[in-house]
Amino acid sequence: MFIVDVATKNKKKVLIRPVERKDFSILTKKRFLFDWKAIQSETSIYILFDPDDQIILGAMAVLKLDAEERIEIKLLTCSRENIGRGKNYDRIAGCLIAFACQLAVEKFGYHACVSLVPKTELAVHYIEKYGMKNAGWQLYLDGERLGELINEYLL
Amino acid sequence: MTVEKKYTPKELAESVVFPVELTDAQKKEAATQLEAVRKRRQHDMSDREKLILQLLQLKFQLEKYLEDGKYDVKKNFGFFLKKYIDILELRHKAFAQAISIDVTLLSQLINKHRDPPEYLFIRLELHSNKKIPAEYWFKLVEKEKVHQIKTDKKLRTREKAFVLSTIANIS
Repeated sequence: MFIVDVATKNKKKVLIRPVERKDFSILTKKRFLFDWKAIQSETSIYILFDPDDQIILGAMAVLKLDAEERIEIKLLTCSRENIGRGKNYDRIAGCLIAFACQLAVEKFGYHACVSLVPKTELAVHYIEKYGMKNAGWQLYLDGERLGELINEYLL
Repeated sequence: MTVEKKYTPKELAESVVFPVELTDAQKKEAATQLEAVRKRRQHDMSDREKLILQLLQLKFQLEKYLEDGKYDVKKNFGFFLKKYIDILELRHKAFAQAISIDVTLLSQLINKHRDPPEYLFIRLELHSNKKIPAEYWFKLVEKEKVHQIKTDKKLRTREKAFVLSTIANIS
């Protein structure tokens, strides 16, 4: 799994792991937009980090809905310096979304589904960027598209 | 300035999924909508699509087990080999033929009556079009061997007779 340095186009190896208590002092609202500690009891939180210096570059909170064979992305963000035109690294969010796809496929096989409830004005861009499909209130990924995202970002 | 004002919707969608609170009625509608489209998609899913995802699932389950420090007696080479053959919906005879081994050997491997020969790891990798690397099959057997060597008390008792002195005796 790698991200790309926007300036040099160099690839950088990254890893994803479940959040640990010590990470919450770094996952501040200022750098990671949301109050991650507040949702830790109801979701599973994963962080994407640089294994060389252990710096966290992105975070994602998911709900694992076993009965529905679905994983819902509740929250996701890249660190502030990796959002927008001046970002340092590309592919952080893609790697995290693909990781959610991996969790779903590992658990549910070909029944797997990953979904999110988008802000209305962002929906079209999730569809464009990640090939998500529209299901009314929710966008979702399933079938071959899960495998394609996993191949594109994780393998 | 909030991030919503600072960045374009495209830039935000490339980096953020915001929390969206739905009312109970909206949640219900969202669940019904998704269920309906998924039902249709599952019905229309091709066998090829299913196979790709099932092989990925097997690969991730293998990875997870190999990374896990715990040994599970059930999750041996034969267990995962049988899963692989079941996913492909092949008869044992047809699968044995496809990788040029005797069906009796295949049965012995599945039932853990025999250790897999090294060439088999490579043949399995080739058969899966490299979807499941040879090293995964090898590491599976290795994990079993490591567990055996760590826990075999009988072997330790037997071999003790052959070790006539130890470094503890060196003054």
